[in-house]
This record gives sequence, C-alpha cells and structure tokens, in this order.
Amino acid sequence: MAKVGGQRESGMGTSKVTVHPSAARAAGPGTRQDELALVKRCRDGDLGAFEEMYRAHAGRLFSVAFRLLGNATDAEDLLQEIFMAAHRKLDTFRGEAALGTWLYRLATNLCLDHLRSRSGRSSQVTDSIEDEQRLIDSTTSGLAEQTVTKMDIERAMAKLPEGCRAAFVLHDIEGLEHREVADVLGIAEGTSKSQVHKARTKLRALLMKTEP
Amino acid sequence: MTCANYREAIQELVDGTLGAIRRAELEQHLSQCEACQQFEADMRRIRDLAGSLDTMAPPDGVWLQVAGRLRQEGRVQAPSPLVRPAPHRRYAILAIAASLIVAVGATLMFLLPSFGARNARDAANQTGTEATADTVRGVEDDFRLAEQHLQSGIAKLQEAARTDESTIDPQTAATLKKNLDVIDQAIAESRAALNSEPQSTIARDSLFQALRRKVDLLQDTIALMNEMRKGDAAGAASIVDGLNKS
Repeated sequence: MAKVGGQRESGMGTSKVTVHPSAARAAGPGTRQDELALVKRCRDGDLGAFEEMYRAHAGRLFSVAFRLLGNATDAEDLLQEIFMAAHRKLDTFRGEAALGTWLYRLATNLCLDHLRSRSGRSSQVTDSIEDEQRLIDSTTSGLAEQTVTKMDIERAMAKLPEGCRAAFVLHDIEGLEHREVADVLGIAEGTSKSQVHKARTKLRALLMKTEP
Repeated sequence: MTCANYREAIQELVDGTLGAIRRAELEQHLSQCEACQQFEADMRRIRDLAGSLDTMAPPDGVWLQVAGRLRQEGRVQAPSPLVRPAPHRRYAILAIAASLIVAVGATLMFLLPSFGARNARDAANQTGTEATADTVRGVEDDFRLAEQHLQSGIAKLQEAARTDESTIDPQTAATLKKNLDVIDQAIAESRAALNSEPQSTIARDSLFQALRRKVDLLQDTIALMNEMRKGDAAGAASIVDGLNKS
C-alpha cells in the first residue's frame, strides 16, 4: 500500500489531516490540468461538472465514511456534507495535491469531527474495550477452518468501539502507518498500535461467534 | 514467558515492525506453540482481508440530495440535470424496466412492448434536445404503469419471503432486513425527488434502480430460504456470498 508521510495541523484542539497518505489511491484518472479545469467549471456553477467530480470520487469517500462511522445512514449523510463542504471550499483548491487527495482529506476530517461530536467527551477518538486477554481466551480455536468473507469483516467492524475502529480503518484498510494514524486521531503512536491490535483481536472474537 | 506475553509481539510481527532480537525470540516460541501460531495466522488473515475490502457505491439518492441543495442555495447556475432532456436515458430506463420485469416474472412481460415501443418511438421522433409535452407525458404514463406492476411484483415477493422467514438464521435475517430498510429509504428519497420534479429522468432512473435492488434482494432471500429448507449448505453459502458481494 502507498504510504507517504502525513502532517498535522492544529485547530480547536483536534488533529486535522493535511496530507493523506493513502489518498493518492483515490486520485482517479485525469491530469492536474484536467482537475483544475473541472474545479473551475464547478466554481462557475456548472452542476454537470460537479456531478462529474462526485461520480469520480463518491465511492471511495463513501467507503471510508461508512467504515469510520459504522453505519450506512450516517455515511450517506456525511457524504452529502462532504460534497456540500467541497463545493463551498472549491476556492481553496489550488492543485498542489490531487483532487482526490484534497477531497479525501476533507472527508476524513468531517468523519472524525462527526465521531468526536457523537462521542461528545474527548478530542481523542479513542476508547477502551474489553480486556484483550479475555478476548483471546474466549476464542478456543482459530479462524483457519472457517469461511470468513469480506462482508463478515464489514459486519464485525461495525460492532467495534469507535476508537479502535477508526485506528483499524486508517491502518489496516487505508494503509496509514501508526505514526500517521496517531497524527490524524490526535493520539500517541503507542495508543494507535494498541487500538489496532485490540481491534484485530476483537474482530477475531466477533468472527468466531458468527460461525455455527 | 506465557503466551499472553507474546501477543503484542505477534501483532508487531504482523505489522512488520518487530525488531530482530524479539523476532528471533518470538519465532522460537511460535515453533513450539500451536495456539500462538493460530493467533498469528488469524491476525494476518484479518489484516489481509481488511486491506482487500472493496470500494462501496453510495445510493443514487445522495447525489440527488446534493444537487437539490446546491440548486436551493443558488450555488449552481446551470439548469437542473434532473430536467435536462437526455434521450439516451430513456433507453436506460427501458433496459432497467426490462430487467426488472424479467426479474419479477413473466406475468409482467405484457408491459414491455407498449413501454418499449413508446420510448423507442419518442426517442426516434425527438430532434435536438427538446422533448415535446406529449412525449414527456407519454413517458410519465408508461413509467407510472411500469412502476405499478413492479410494486405489485415486489408485494408478491415480499409475501413469499414472509411465509417461511424462520428458515434463515437471525443474523442473516437481520442483515437482510437492514438492507431492505436502506433500499426502502432510497425508494422513498427517489420518489420524493420525482414528485418535486416529475420530468426528471435521473429521478426516474434512481427510483427504478432502487426498485430493482429490492426485487433482487427479495429474490435472493427466497432462493436462500429454498436452499436452507433443502439443507443445501453449499447452495445457501453461495447465495449469501452473492448477497455479500452485491
């Protein structure tokens, strides 16, 4: 997976993504010139151009929103807000980063803001989960003999606590390094590791329970 | 050291961040401990599956909402794409209608000739991008007729799905219900968009797509019930896998 350094921008006590490492994958087709031309048409009020932008990037942004937020309804609402915000901020797009990167950063920040407001208690999107050892002990055998589909993983992920889900999504799905996850979530690198590890352990326990 | 002491090292091994000395120590333990080997394999499997997850498509209703809000706020100058004449979309509607009608059964086939003929004739008669009022009315009438029959087909499928829903395990049933709820919401949103702009081809497309998804899901539900009743675990797994991929 592409792993490029991320940077942190302080604001309102929370971390903001300024360069998103895996967003390059979302850049999509088209040269920077094409993207600037498309953005100009959008700025000029061309709804068709904005729809073109939406069609090119909505899938990836919806996926990350769905996985970070844990349910489709919130992800659909957030996707609307992402593109409404993108339209409002088109003037700030200078083309230094790919359009996909710019949108991905905006989407991730909105999702994390939403998670923070939903948890309503901390600037850090982390929380505690059950004792890891208990989770390990609860699984008497491994997953080796079992059929585990992508949908099983999606379902189990939705059951994770928000904090470790966010770290897991950013690290194991989106491909960020632990230091980058830490940067994005405003947590220590060690906390990112422990959250991702707890998420995997809990997923294992959840996946074992889904088997007959 | 107990196995519990090696769990963190196993996770770091999976992440590729474990140092050489601890790695050597861990590998020695792994060579003797089946439980920790299993744990390592599971962690790798979960990480690999997570890394291979697909991009998901958002419901079409989201774009309609975004476009509607932009128009409401006066941030777009172009005419609404919802009323933009787009003759090729007629064919798209026709194709979707055809697949839906085939999907819900032969009893609906009688609809297709009139709907298709009207659309084909109208499209052929169109010049430029301007549609006549008669053309628009004709398509709307055909659409309403097709939709009524689709809804009728859906009602029959729903009734069939309810007859023996206990054959599906509760978790799968809950997932199916959740998916149905999402589709119903998409149908409601598309219908609302169509009510506000009755000539909108995009809103019609969106509604038809949502209806088609509902038909597909109901058909899969019934097929799954049949496989479960027959005790065909492989057939059921295949359908569930198809549902998972859809």
